[in-house]
Amino acid sequence: MIFEATTGEQTFRLDVRAHEGHYTVDLDGRKLRVEVSESPPFLVLSIDGRIHEAGVFRRGSTFEVALAGELFEVLLLDVTRAAAPGGVRPASGPSRVVAPMPGKVARVLVSQGEAVAAGAGLLVIEAMKMENELRAPRAGTVLELLAREGQAVESGALLAVVG
Amino acid sequence: MRAFGKILVANRGEIAVRIIRACREMGISPVAVHSEADRGALHVRMADESYLLGPGPSRESYLRSDRVIEAALRASAEAVHPGYGFLAENADFARDCVSAGLVFIGPRSDTMTLLGEKTSARRAAVAAGLPVVPGTLEPLSDDAAIAREARALGFPVMLKAAAGGGGKGMRLVAEPAELAGAAARARSEALSAFGDDRVYVEKAVARPRHIEIQVLADEHGHAVHLFERECSIQRRHQKVIEESPSPFVTPALRERMGALAVALVRSTGYVNAGTLEFLVGQDGAPYFLEMNTRLQVEHPVTEMVTGLDLVKLQIRIAQGEPLPFRQEDLVQRGHAIECRVYAEDPDQGFLPSPGRILGLRSPGGPGIRDDSGVFAGYDVSVHYDPLLSKLIAHGDDRTQAIARMARAVAEYQIVGIRTNLPLFARVLRSAAFQSGDFDTSFLATLPVEPKSRAASETAAIVGAICSFRDRQAQAPVVSSAGDTSAWWRAGLREGQRDRA
Repeated sequence: MIFEATTGEQTFRLDVRAHEGHYTVDLDGRKLRVEVSESPPFLVLSIDGRIHEAGVFRRGSTFEVALAGELFEVLLLDVTRAAAPGGVRPASGPSRVVAPMPGKVARVLVSQGEAVAAGAGLLVIEAMKMENELRAPRAGTVLELLAREGQAVESGALLAVVG
Repeated sequence: MRAFGKILVANRGEIAVRIIRACREMGISPVAVHSEADRGALHVRMADESYLLGPGPSRESYLRSDRVIEAALRASAEAVHPGYGFLAENADFARDCVSAGLVFIGPRSDTMTLLGEKTSARRAAVAAGLPVVPGTLEPLSDDAAIAREARALGFPVMLKAAAGGGGKGMRLVAEPAELAGAAARARSEALSAFGDDRVYVEKAVARPRHIEIQVLADEHGHAVHLFERECSIQRRHQKVIEESPSPFVTPALRERMGALAVALVRSTGYVNAGTLEFLVGQDGAPYFLEMNTRLQVEHPVTEMVTGLDLVKLQIRIAQGEPLPFRQEDLVQRGHAIECRVYAEDPDQGFLPSPGRILGLRSPGGPGIRDDSGVFAGYDVSVHYDPLLSKLIAHGDDRTQAIARMARAVAEYQIVGIRTNLPLFARVLRSAAFQSGDFDTSFLATLPVEPKSRAASETAAIVGAICSFRDRQAQAPVVSSAGDTSAWWRAGLREGQRDRA
């Protein structure tokens, strides 16, 4: 299986094959032998003899990998059969403002159709006794405003669209 | 003298666990209280009894002083330990406990009123000869008055909740244009956290260090200080790393600040544990900020360097015992550092990150203490402060304490939610932190380090192998692997050799 893995600014191409008791990974042309031992959500990897312990948590097609005290978000695309290498790219255009955590909409600072500057406060979410202001990701117009004051929102809920 | 047989712990999370541990060691039966969201919380599991206060939101549970007192009476507890936060600095609650025949483990209600309201505390401090930061001595409840005072002091100014603490309702205002918005948010946060939207205005001290003095006083007129804690590593005016001794404080400054602290304790007749917070300018001039009339979150660093158990001492003082030592018996041994492990994302402006802890492995070994309130499988609730645990390292000196803490932070594994552990790793290896030369703006100016290519590659391999296993497990292949996990099945399954 061939994957394109993106973490931070870096993208790697990996060819993963399973063998008896181990995997081989071709990482951008380097062949690595990987042994895996698992006690979820932890994974112990021996990569050519070097030991790494990772905490792994899946969020959709993204894996959150806690490794050596750092957290990596790794987006994986299976490109084994992909006609177009590089996979699907997100479309540009209006920016969606989503709730970064579950909480309550404490205040809505703009109205639909209002012109906003990049970084302007759109609304305030209260969670864990702190108020957090969500700002416009780009300059434009508030095309859609779904958040209502007092509304409880789940993480990832669409609150507004600026375009 | 009274001897308690049962103490009700009016709190949750790591501090409730900490108090329960002290009770156990003293042979006292601990009684917990909980909200509907906390039925399975760690403090409930560790107590002998626990009583439901109400629904998840604090206002309907942990802030319901009437229900807490009801629970204490129902359990026949003799005393109530409030911990920090919630009802800990609520003078009415302290008074109601006493009226109900319960001992409140903390100062008397009238001292709490005097020192708990920040502006009257400033007046008491001035009367006792303590230097204070220039600012309003009265709480303000209208925006026009706030603007007038801020202009008179000159920007930058700090807005602080009169009833406040813990960074809630606090805003730094750099220029007049920011004032109205900052005041509105400070007042709204203060109202929701403390039920009081009044604020006061202070001149902001340039590049200040935040240094505090721990005090203890008994009912027999004995008062001591337990030296200082350095708390300058803060985000959003909330402490995240504390240490003792402070790398900034000289023996002369330590002695002076200790004497100032004891002077306020004596002049107000303060009893039990308390903390005086000071801002110290780069010139070494201390300014009294406020007094916290309760046990402090960061009390463990003082415990590690003095060898004392502050919670047990609080209980002994409340039982009417005299302090078992004098000022001259106390010494600072070695160096201690505490990291507050929060469920929050340091890469996204410290946004809270509630959710289920899927995996947890705590650090241990020499010189390490983990005061935790969570466990694997625990749901971090949106209702409460996102503090998961306090990690404390003790060493012979600051260099050893930093090395131990860095080692422990790297051992700490929390999977499923975001935490600020990666931030601690960066702080501990930064030259400014290691040199001891930093101020309260340290975190805001800490450079972001790009992640190493080698670690990113390893993360990509981990992700690719997990994804590979997930996809293999979903494939319609006849399996005889029984109920072993999908990941193992993928690794063990026959006939997939060299399949890509």
